Amino acid sequence: MVQLSLPKNSEIKKGKYFKDKTGSKNLRKVNIYRWDPSTDEGPRIDTYEVDMDNCPSKVLDILNKIKNEIDSTITYRRSCAHGVCGSCAMNMGGKNGLACTTPHAEIEGDIDIYPLPHLKVKKDLIGDLDGLYKQYQSIEPWLKNNSTKETTEIYQSKEDRAKLDGAYECIMCACCSTSCPSYWWNGDKYLGPAVLLQAYRWIIDSRDEERKARLKKVADELKLYRCHTILNCTNACPKGLNPAKAIAEIKKMLATANV
Amino acid sequence: MENRPLSPHIQIYKWHISSLVSISHRITGIINFFAITLICIWFAFMLLGESEYQPIKIFLESFLGKFILIGITWSFSFQMLSEIRHLIMDLGYGFDLQTTKITGLLVIFGSIFLTIVVYIFGRGVI
Repeated sequence: MVQLSLPKNSEIKKGKYFKDKTGSKNLRKVNIYRWDPSTDEGPRIDTYEVDMDNCPSKVLDILNKIKNEIDSTITYRRSCAHGVCGSCAMNMGGKNGLACTTPHAEIEGDIDIYPLPHLKVKKDLIGDLDGLYKQYQSIEPWLKNNSTKETTEIYQSKEDRAKLDGAYECIMCACCSTSCPSYWWNGDKYLGPAVLLQAYRWIIDSRDEERKARLKKVADELKLYRCHTILNCTNACPKGLNPAKAIAEIKKMLATANV
Repeated sequence: MENRPLSPHIQIYKWHISSLVSISHRITGIINFFAITLICIWFAFMLLGESEYQPIKIFLESFLGKFILIGITWSFSFQMLSEIRHLIMDLGYGFDLQTTKITGLLVIFGSIFLTIVVYIFGRGVI
C-alpha cells in the first residue's frame, strides 16, 4: 500500500551535535541516521563536523574517519572498499549507492547519510534485507539443465555468452530495489529490480533448460508488472547496470512468446 | 525486534527527470479522467441550445475557466507524449540513462510547446 509518511516509531528526531576538535578550517557537516535497538528511543540524526583536509575522497572514508576519530558507536556494513562486495550500500545525498565508490565531492551542501530506504532498520545504517534475499531464492538462481550429465561441459557460443553481459555483474547490493517506489509500496509481493534482473539473467542463459517455467513464474501482476519504468533503479545502480531494461525485456518476452 | 523503525524513503529520495515524468504521468492521468467528464458536460450544454449554453460561455471566458481549459490542454499533451515515451520503452528502446533524460525533457517541454500551439490555433492568432 502507498504510505507516504513514516510510522510513529520511525519518526526522526534531531540528535547529538559533535563539534570539530581539530581546529580545521575545511569542515563539512555530516548528518547520519542513528537508531540503537538497545534503547527505547526512536531514530535520530546525529551531526558531525568533519575535517576534510585529512579525509580521503569517498563517503566511506568519512564514515571510517568518524568511527575512528569522533564517535566509535556508529554502525555500518563495509568490507571490500572497492565496489565489489556491495556491503556498504546506503542512501547518500538522497541517492542510493555504495559508500566506497561515491565521492563526497559529488554531494552538495551537508552530507546526509541514511540507511537504504524503506527497510526495517537493524541498527544505524544497517537495513534488514532478509525479504529481498528470500525473493532472490524464490527465482532459483542456479543453472537448471537435466539433459546433460553433471560431468559434461555445456558449450555456449560467444554471442549467447554476450547476452549475459550487463546482468551477471550484479553484486546484489540492493541499491536499485530499495530506490524503487513500487518496491517501497509492494515489496512483499513485487520482486523488485535486483531480483528481476537476476531472473532475466537465468531466463536468457542459453545453457538453461527451464526458460519457459522461469518466465511463467515471474509472469504475475504483482511480481513483475508493478514496474512502471520510474527508472530509479537504473539511476541508482553503482555498477552501471540497467535493471529497468531487463524488466522491459522480460515483459517483451512474455508479450511475444507462448508461455 | 518488532519495534524496528522503517528507514525513510520518499521523504529523502532525490527526484530526477524520469521519476518526475513518471509521477506526473499518473497525476495527469487522474486529471484527464475528471477532465473527460467536464468535456462531456460541456458538450451536453452545447446540445441544449444557445440560451442554456450562455452560462458555460461566461464561465469559460472567466479567469478560472481559461485556467481550467489551458490546464486540461497541458494535461492531455503531457499524458500523450509521456505515453508515447512509455510505448517506446515497452518496445525495449530508450533505456540508456542519457536517453531517458533527453526523452523526459522532451516530454516536459514538448507538453508546454503543444499547449501553446493548441492555444494559438484555437484562438485563431495565426
